Amino acid sequence: MAASMLMQRTAALCGTLKGISASKAVRPVNSHYGFMLQTACYNPRPLRLDLRGPYIPDKDSNKTPEWQKTARYDRKLFGRFGSASHIDPASLWPSHEELEKIIAEEKQWHPPLEVMLKNIETKEKEETEKRLAKEKLIAANMAKMPKMIEDWRREKRETKRKLQEEKAQKAKLLAEARERFGYSMDPRSPKFLEMVAEIEKEEKKKKKLLKRRVKEEQVAAPPATQS
Amino acid sequence: MSFAKKNGGKAFDVLQNLPRITLANLRPEPGAKKAEKRRGRGQHGGNRSGRGHKGERQRGNRPRLGFEGGQTPFYLVIPKYGFNEGHSRRPQYQPLTLKRLQYLIDLGRVDPTQPIDLTQLVNARGVTIQPLKRDYGVQLVDEGSDIFGAKINIEVQRASEGAIAAVERNGGVITTSFYDPISLGILIKPVPFFMRGQPIPRRMLPGEDMVPYYTSAENRGYLADPEEIQQARRALAQKYSYVLPDISKDELFHMLAMRKDVRQIFFGLSPGWVVNMPEKKILKHTDEKLLEYYSS
Repeated sequence: MAASMLMQRTAALCGTLKGISASKAVRPVNSHYGFMLQTACYNPRPLRLDLRGPYIPDKDSNKTPEWQKTARYDRKLFGRFGSASHIDPASLWPSHEELEKIIAEEKQWHPPLEVMLKNIETKEKEETEKRLAKEKLIAANMAKMPKMIEDWRREKRETKRKLQEEKAQKAKLLAEARERFGYSMDPRSPKFLEMVAEIEKEEKKKKKLLKRRVKEEQVAAPPATQS
Repeated sequence: MSFAKKNGGKAFDVLQNLPRITLANLRPEPGAKKAEKRRGRGQHGGNRSGRGHKGERQRGNRPRLGFEGGQTPFYLVIPKYGFNEGHSRRPQYQPLTLKRLQYLIDLGRVDPTQPIDLTQLVNARGVTIQPLKRDYGVQLVDEGSDIFGAKINIEVQRASEGAIAAVERNGGVITTSFYDPISLGILIKPVPFFMRGQPIPRRMLPGEDMVPYYTSAENRGYLADPEEIQQARRALAQKYSYVLPDISKDELFHMLAMRKDVRQIFFGLSPGWVVNMPEKKILKHTDEKLLEYYSS
């Protein structure tokens, strides 16, 4: 409609300007009028559409673009022109097949509220269960903690003590070796190792003797204790 | 003697004698290719062909974007962490402060005697919603809750606790409700939608991640139980220490009690109706299947 108005206006303008140019034809035309004349003589290409009434595309014509032959465009025409578009209002709604398709799609992608609520509940339940299990595990392990710390400390203390004892023993052996041979020895030398083996043997013997003596005493003692 | 007439004649002969069509003897259609522009020819020889003086610029071997000449580039210096993961898909809610709402009401741009939903707010140019930019609606923010004094029935998509308290202290009603992007586009621009001549669709339910928000009475969700909402209203009044005005004795009770159906987009218009703007008519369908679909 706007375009037709524009056309009318330009036509009117053309008419008036033609009149002016005719009247002024005798006089030399100055630059201002020259410009106007140029405008006046512009002959626009005619718009090949009738925009007075509603534009209803011809469905059978080859020249109509494809997108104007769709149901969507029909609906648009109805929305724009109402019943003047001569479009069946029943075609505005989806047909039964389309409706079935829509329903199927909705069923696939949009679960009902109850299902969603149930899903949420199960998910929450699972999460709380997981959390509770973890908390339980942590509590159990924390209960074990003081004992474990105590064990660890004791072990450490013991190793320390053992180390010290070993050191003392070694120092003692070295001192003995120095006494025996008269000079400080290398603890790796065969002489020293021999000496250590000897001492160990002696100690074993001593232990055996001690054991035997204790046994003898025990054999001798009981009657004395009984009486 | 009669010779059998050959079909095709000369063209057939040519086709028989020509080599088989291969990639080697195909060439582009004449006019399909444009001749390459050859720089620095003729009188411009010896010049720089508009590429400046020396260096990577002239030779066109500039390093990749973000490269800082061998120094560890900025985009690798900052460690990655998932703070912004999925930020381009997160729903956005345009903020609407109570101060601005009061301003809109005071200027008469929003009519408090009618239920206010997104259509009213957008028409009043109170907020701008862009569904294509992942806007899911508006959030009511409690800025200006101390000066807010209107009795309204408002429907927003998110609301802070302070904003809910401020609306209810004045005897108003607030609902948070979800619109899927398509319904939101229709809600903020009803007339262009009506001009499309399509039936009003059903509003979709929120996704599973948003259901907890809209089913909770604390948020005044539209899926929540009305009785629970009453309880929550009383609890909130106690928390913020105000006396909850009795709505049922209000002269605007009818307006304040108006709520949309879960599947409804516009007040007073059911899904499945067609609104025709030029004829000022509403078209309703009578088909049973359609009725069943749109009423469910």
